[in-house]
Formats: sequence, C-alpha cells, structure tokens
Amino acid sequence: MEPFSWYRDIDGLGDLLILVLSPMLEYLGQYMPGDVFPIYFEWEMFQRALIAALLISIVAGLFGTFLMLRNLALIGDGLAHVSFGGMAVGVAFGSVAPLWLALLFSVIAAILIYEFQNREILTGDTSIAIFLTGTLAFGLVILRLYGEGITTDIEAYLFGSLNMIDSDSLSMIGWLSIFSLTSIAILHRGLLAMTIDSVAARMQGIPVNLIGLWFSITVAAIVVSMVKLVGALLVSALLVTPAATAQIVSRSFRGCMLWTQVFGFSATFLGIYFAAELNTGTGSMIAVVAASQFAIIGLIKATVVGFINQKKLIETREALVQ
Amino acid sequence: MGGHGGRSMSDADILISIRGLKVHRGGVIVLDGIDLDVRKGDFVGVVGPNGSGKSTLLLTIIGQLQPTEGTVSVFGETPGSMATRGRLAWVSQAASNIPNNLRITVRELVGLGTLTWRNMIRPNRTERNKRIDDAIRMVGLEDLEHRDIRHMSGGQRQRAVVARGLASNAEILILDEPLVGVDRESRKDFLRFLENLCRNEGKTLLMVTHDHTAISRCTHCAVCIDGNVHVDEEIEMSPNSLMLSNFSNGINLKESFSVDLLQQSKEVK
Repeated sequence: MEPFSWYRDIDGLGDLLILVLSPMLEYLGQYMPGDVFPIYFEWEMFQRALIAALLISIVAGLFGTFLMLRNLALIGDGLAHVSFGGMAVGVAFGSVAPLWLALLFSVIAAILIYEFQNREILTGDTSIAIFLTGTLAFGLVILRLYGEGITTDIEAYLFGSLNMIDSDSLSMIGWLSIFSLTSIAILHRGLLAMTIDSVAARMQGIPVNLIGLWFSITVAAIVVSMVKLVGALLVSALLVTPAATAQIVSRSFRGCMLWTQVFGFSATFLGIYFAAELNTGTGSMIAVVAASQFAIIGLIKATVVGFINQKKLIETREALVQ
Repeated sequence: MGGHGGRSMSDADILISIRGLKVHRGGVIVLDGIDLDVRKGDFVGVVGPNGSGKSTLLLTIIGQLQPTEGTVSVFGETPGSMATRGRLAWVSQAASNIPNNLRITVRELVGLGTLTWRNMIRPNRTERNKRIDDAIRMVGLEDLEHRDIRHMSGGQRQRAVVARGLASNAEILILDEPLVGVDRESRKDFLRFLENLCRNEGKTLLMVTHDHTAISRCTHCAVCIDGNVHVDEEIEMSPNSLMLSNFSNGINLKESFSVDLLQQSKEVK
C-alpha cells in the first residue's frame, strides 16, 4: 500500500473517488470483522470494487422501483443480452468500439420496449422476451457466419467481475452514477406521475414523451455499461430484488425508496463480506444475499399477516356467536 | 343546447364547445356529427353501452385523438394545446389504473396532481402543501391521508384520484368510468360528493359511465347510442333495453342536452 500523498496523479473520476474515500475506508477497515473482509477497506483494488458495488446499488435501487412499477423487472437481463447482440456484430466486423454498438442496440431496444408498452402493443415482459431471444440469437448467428464463434472476449461482456474493476471502469461508473442520480432527482416526480397515469400527467403539462425517452436511454446506459463491468447477474439482482423487498415492508412511496436503499446497501455489504470469507464470486454472493433478504422478509410478513387475519377471524366469529 | 329554458347564461360561460364532430378510429366512424356545449358549473353525465363512443368523445376533448371533421374547442383553444394545460384534469378509474405493487399514500398521490412542467424540478412547498390540504379536505379523506392506498375501499380510492385532479386547480374534471369497483352504497355518497363539487366549488364535471342510474345527480345527460337523438324517455329505459338496442358505430348528441335532469330528479324525490 503506497503512502498517502497529495502529489499523486489524479487520473479521472475513479482516482478521485479513491483519493477522497480511501482514508475513510481505511479507518472503517479497523473495525471490520472477518479475516479477508478488511482488505476491501485497505487495498486499492478492493476499495474500487467496494465503491463500485455501493454506487451501483444506489443507482439500481432508484431505477429499480420505477422498473418494477412499469412491469419491466427483467429489463436488466433483457438489455444485457441485447447488448451481447450488438457486441457480437462489433466483434465480427472488427469494429474498434464494440461497446458503443452494444449501447446503441440496447438504447434502441429500450426505446422500442417502452413505446410498445406505451401504445399497448405488447406488455413489458413479452417485448423483453422477444428482444432478449431475438438479439441474442442474431448475435450468435453473426458470430458463426463472420467471426470465430464465442470468444472469451465476448463472454467477459456478459459476465464481468466486480473484483477486476480498474480505475477507468470506476470512472465510468462514477460518471454514470452522477448523471443518473442528478437526472432522477430532477425528474422522479414527473416519472412517478406518468407511471401511475400517463393521460393525467400529460394533461398537467408534464413532458411525458421526453421523460419516457430519458428513462429508456438512461436505463439502457446503466445496464450496458454496468453489466460489462460487473456482470448481468449483479446488475439484474440489484435492479429488482431490493425494490421488491422494500415494497413488502413500506406503506408509502417515499418509504419504498428509502427501504430499497437500505436493502440494496446491506445486501451489497453482506454479500461482499460472505464472498470474501467463503471465497466465492462477489456478484453472485450479493445476488444470493439480496434474494435471501426477500425470502426472509416475505416469510415474516406472511406469518404476521396470517396471524392478524386469524385473530380477526376469531374475533368476528365470537362477535357473531354473541 | 342553445336556447333551452331554465338556465340563462351568456356564451362566455361555455367552456367546451363541439361543432359537427366526426371521429374515425381504425377506419370506423365512432362519432358522427356531434354538437355539444358544456357550460361552467355543469355536471354532464355521458352514458351509453360499451363501444358507443363515450371514451372516444373524452379523448377528443382532451386532445389525445384528433377530429376527422368538425371542431372542438376547450376554453376557446385547441384541445391539448399549451393554453389548456392544467385547466383540465383527467380522473381515471382508480380500480384498474393504480399498479398493484405500488406503495403510495393518499397524500403522495394527491401531491402528484400539483406537478406541472414548470414546478416539476423545484416545487414551491408552502403553496403545494396548501393545495394538497385543500384537495384532501374537499374529498373528505383528512383522516386517511397517510394511509396506503391499497388498504382503502374502492370509493375512498376513487376519491383520492379525484383529489389528485383537484390539486391541479383544474376548472374541468373529466371522469372516465369513476364508479367501477365502487359498491352500491358508496356510489350514492360519491355521486353526491361530485354534485357538491359543481355547486360549492364551481367545478365543471364531465363523467362517462355505463351505469345509467348514475346520472341522477347530473345537471345534464347525454346518451350515446345508435346515432339517434336521445331525450328524457330514453333515460328511463332499463339497462337491459339499453344494451339490447341495436346500436351502430355512430352516435349523435344533438339536442340531448335539452333534458335538465337536476330538475327532474328533484321532482322524483
């Protein structure tokens, strides 16, 4: 570990984040349990992974609530596979930047999925399924015809790894988080209004089409870039599961947003802890923890509700007898 | 309805004016030659069987559909233009429009009504809270304002959606089948509440419903059916005969407003 110095070259937002947050993480690291876990607070490579995971959980949680309301919970997986199609075309024809093609494919798919849903041509899950299978198959066919089959290069785009994040990747996640967090802070009220009732929102003067377009493009950008960096599993899990767990416990929309962050943050933290201690994949462990949270909270809720209902039933029965 | 007795109002009170309206949807004539005036303070009930063009009429008035022929003007402007933004409010069916997995309190839902493209980014909190309070008070949900909307009855839910429209300070409320999912008893209360909105708050209401008993509280009624002119006799028809009559694609609302139902319903009581 190199000593802290102000003379260090700062190369992009990723470096800046590390520079600002590492003293804090190192301080926290002293109090962290486990044998391996504290290195996430001490080594720069793992600090990057930790910061990236937390940023992704914040962004994914905010967008996930809206995706769930629009019945687009699987869009993370869908767009990841759509981007594979774009990537395959890029790789097969020797494009310099296959990631940009992947992004282009995904943005187009996201806009079409949104428009199909808006015009009531197809429901969200159906159009996601069509785009997922269609572009994935298209990518495979293109690779067979013009490329050398599936290479590890392409596989890496679908199953990135959290622990392999370099400074540039962290920069990209940082910029994307800044863009999506500021824009959703500005537009979330309008987005909620149009998600509940787009006709009423339009009549109030909310620019429904514009917000819809922004939402599709931002979701596509988040999914594609983050999937490439940390893997489809982690992004999909963080997009959906914390939001779903939050809606079990909360009664208001504000509460739902706050609880989503609580569950997303704790799943990321615990996931990294268990992954470090048990030596498993970080992304998959975070997904497992998030799913367990949902299962446990859901079971508790079901038991409590069942108990209350039983009590009410007995009370009504007694009242009837008397 | 110009010239009929009972209400002597100047043309300045006409908020919605429709002349010779024809609308095609998917190559079929849905509305065929409609003339209609709605004045300030009217509570207009539009009834008729499914497929008779009630919803098409509403969607044309709010500018979602374009007329094939004829003119529609709202506040003297083209429907959907910037000048009409925020002056009309759309009250949708609460029963079918609120997503199942949405957690939202009455207050949060009503608050969405105060949004416009101007204040979406930075709402004025004091003014906003006052409008939300007023709207919730008008619909009588003060005690339930922090309640999750899923835990409320159909009637209460629909009131919350009306409050969302009221919070936008709109002069005209357009209600699309508000009685679906509301039980018989609450239905009466809900209609009385809508009537009071017109009388006491000076709102103008346009309500589409397939339940023709619901129009007893309306000041005016339009029956969408069969391309004929429908006056008071038709309103007395049983629901069955309404459904059985062989309606085609066209409807005609000409002179259908010569019925002043308010007067009638008072005599009945």
